[in-house]
Amino acid sequence: MSGFSLSKTKARRRVVGTRGCAPLHSAYQNGDLGERTKGSFLVRASKAFQVSRSRRGLLFRASLGIWSALLTRQLLDSPALTAADQYAGVFRVERVNALVLSVIFAAAVLWYIAQARRGAKFYIRPIPGLSAVDEAVGRATEMGRPVVFIPGTGDLDEIQTIAGLSILGRVARVTARYATPLRVPVLYPLPMAAAQEMVREAYLDEGVEHLDPETVQYVAGESFSYSARVGGIMLRERPAAAIYMGQFTAESLLIAEVGQSTGAIQIAGTASPDQLPFFIAACDYTLIGEELYAASAYLSGDPKMLGSLKGQDLMKILIAVVVVAGTITVSMGWSPEWLASIFEAK
Amino acid sequence: MKTRLPVFVAFISGALMIIAFFGRGTVVDAVSEEALTWQTIVGGFALLLGAVSIVRVHWQKISTRHTDRYYSVGLLICFAVMAGSGVLFGIGGGTLFDHLFQRIQAPMMSTMFSVLAFFIASAAYRAFRARSVSSAILLLAAIVVMLGRIPMGQYVYHGLPAWADWIMTVPSMAVQRGILIGAALGAASMSLRIMLGIERTYLGRG
Amino acid sequence: MSEERSGQQVLRAPFWQRLQSVDRRILYSLIFASVIIPVLWPLHLPTLVTPESRAFFNAVDSLPSGSVVLFPFDFWPSTLPETEPMAIAALRHCFRKNLRVVGLSNVGMGGPSIADRLLDSIGAEFHKSYGADYVNLGYKANYSAVMLGMGSRIADIFPADHRGTRLEDIPLMRQVPNYDSVKFVLIISDNAMTDYWVALVNARYGLPMVAGVTAIMAPKMLSYMHSRQLMGLLGGMKGAAEYEQLIGRPDKASRGMDAQSLIHFLIIVFIVLGNAGYFMSRRHRTRLGQV
Repeated sequence: MSGFSLSKTKARRRVVGTRGCAPLHSAYQNGDLGERTKGSFLVRASKAFQVSRSRRGLLFRASLGIWSALLTRQLLDSPALTAADQYAGVFRVERVNALVLSVIFAAAVLWYIAQARRGAKFYIRPIPGLSAVDEAVGRATEMGRPVVFIPGTGDLDEIQTIAGLSILGRVARVTARYATPLRVPVLYPLPMAAAQEMVREAYLDEGVEHLDPETVQYVAGESFSYSARVGGIMLRERPAAAIYMGQFTAESLLIAEVGQSTGAIQIAGTASPDQLPFFIAACDYTLIGEELYAASAYLSGDPKMLGSLKGQDLMKILIAVVVVAGTITVSMGWSPEWLASIFEAK
Repeated sequence: MKTRLPVFVAFISGALMIIAFFGRGTVVDAVSEEALTWQTIVGGFALLLGAVSIVRVHWQKISTRHTDRYYSVGLLICFAVMAGSGVLFGIGGGTLFDHLFQRIQAPMMSTMFSVLAFFIASAAYRAFRARSVSSAILLLAAIVVMLGRIPMGQYVYHGLPAWADWIMTVPSMAVQRGILIGAALGAASMSLRIMLGIERTYLGRG
Repeated sequence: MSEERSGQQVLRAPFWQRLQSVDRRILYSLIFASVIIPVLWPLHLPTLVTPESRAFFNAVDSLPSGSVVLFPFDFWPSTLPETEPMAIAALRHCFRKNLRVVGLSNVGMGGPSIADRLLDSIGAEFHKSYGADYVNLGYKANYSAVMLGMGSRIADIFPADHRGTRLEDIPLMRQVPNYDSVKFVLIISDNAMTDYWVALVNARYGLPMVAGVTAIMAPKMLSYMHSRQLMGLLGGMKGAAEYEQLIGRPDKASRGMDAQSLIHFLIIVFIVLGNAGYFMSRRHRTRLGQV
């Protein structure tokens, strides 16, 4: 489902839009637009920018105005803008190689997403660690022991943390369904807020209204204090399943070894290559690198998300071909400067 | 609105950062830098959330006479002392906060890090079994690198340090690069899904 | 195998099987002993210098006298055993070559005070004075804004140093307005800050840099060395010991290498024993027809 679509009820409400948006939206409502145009990004964007005359809408526009004024004031005083005057040229020409690569990548992903929307089915190889998540939660339910879920030790600006939280949502749904206690110790406050919201929504979806305040806990602000606390939770509560998904640093082995000593089934996933060996040694299942990012797509089974995985794989094949070609050419003694400069990161 | 606004903000923020990376001297540069500053400010306020959560959880344990309430008492006392000393006397060099941090907190952090040595030993003992050809190769490589990295290794065989260096700089680095490339593509794909509103699990919705 | 204990038959696992499941406490006691023994009776084992550490040394050694070196102390107190010896050895090298050091930290908890302590103590060894030969800018949140902002004007990011003195009142900082006046970046880090320095500063401003990181991070940082984004690399306590040897001042890291050598050796013994137990029990079970 698109992030910009309107429900029928909202679409019927009288709207006041900008000059460009109102005619387009009226045409949509009157059915004057063709099928292809209805789904276009422009139409969807125009609907997103329109607000109603209700009090909420006025409040939204007022806050937007205030925010814009504050931002403009800040920008005028910003040293970045002052320094920017000295630069000539808007586009960083030295990064055109990165731009081309990004465009190819985005095109590949969008192409496969479009294919998925048209009903194409994609095969994704089984990932044992993800298949084991349900099994682990089931084991915890049977044994009457909690599930410990750790969404990594990174802050919310880390993409690995978001990947971990997306898996938390699914795990929370299953634990709510089977009334299995869930413990989510979190290192930073922003992921804690996100995790609380996620778990609360998952529990509400399963009809469980009361959420134990000990379910999602903010623990310290430093990784070794965090690992001491997590070790304590594991040794006292003896979880039957421990799931570690996200970014980890040196505390990964501390947590995993303590979990191993309690007899919990452990499933880990991280894209931090330096922590992978510890998880592989201490855990029953490990998701390596991009398998962590694929988890939410894999678990949801949403064709659009699976399509993005195919696009990512296409890019990987392209990179592999370039690496092999480059290895062959350099081994044969042909490595001109211009070829090397194409792949330089600036 | 509850779903659309965060998705819209995610799209605009992502687009701004991408333009700022490729652009120069534009207002987008300034906007992205301001956004980073705002992120720091929001993070500071979020720290309050965390502090409130800690106090609430442990106070509840004390008030409900939980078995572990004495640990909660200790935590709240330490919390009050550190926070209070920082607020009242500052956190610069020579202050009570600095002394408590350097003489209690820092050694405890180093101690926890040192526990890794014991856990690595027990993990290696338990996990490094030559159950198959690949695990036997892994085991041999681990032994070569461990011996090659210590002075004793060159007494066992003079070529061990060179072999250890080769394993670290050729196959190990190749694997690390492969994982990094895969992870970077995965992160980029996930970021694109978030920006386009396809991935909304971080909002608590499937 | 069985034995009598208090009148009851107790089945005891065969020796080879027990060898695979030695109590953790025995393992930990042996590890503890292998740390304590070299502290009490040093072994003085020699250290072989790796090419990465030599490259690190050469990169710093080739800087002209008086050059300004940016020195981020981007490590937490928890990794002091690995990172502090590197920082001390690097500072000794810099001050011996009369390089001027601008210290800062992107780690709020403990970073600036560690920087203060090390800069003052090593500076005093070489009779260097604060403000003229070295400065500690302290910590500012938002590492990307810090790293990028210093390229335009350092005073915009750090209006005052860690001690509260305004930058225009510090003689060294009057000569260092931004990265244009910095010759080199010498990073000591135990986290992802090294990646950001390489990605944001080396990539955008072309500043040459070297890094001292923990042993766990060293394999990942090797790829930066091979792509010439880093000119040298120190990995863990061994890297610190090699650097101490190269500058001719063996110190904490060199002493710590004795314990590290014993522990490595002990872990190898554990692995060999565990595998011996595994193979012998497998052979035993095959003989009994259980496999």
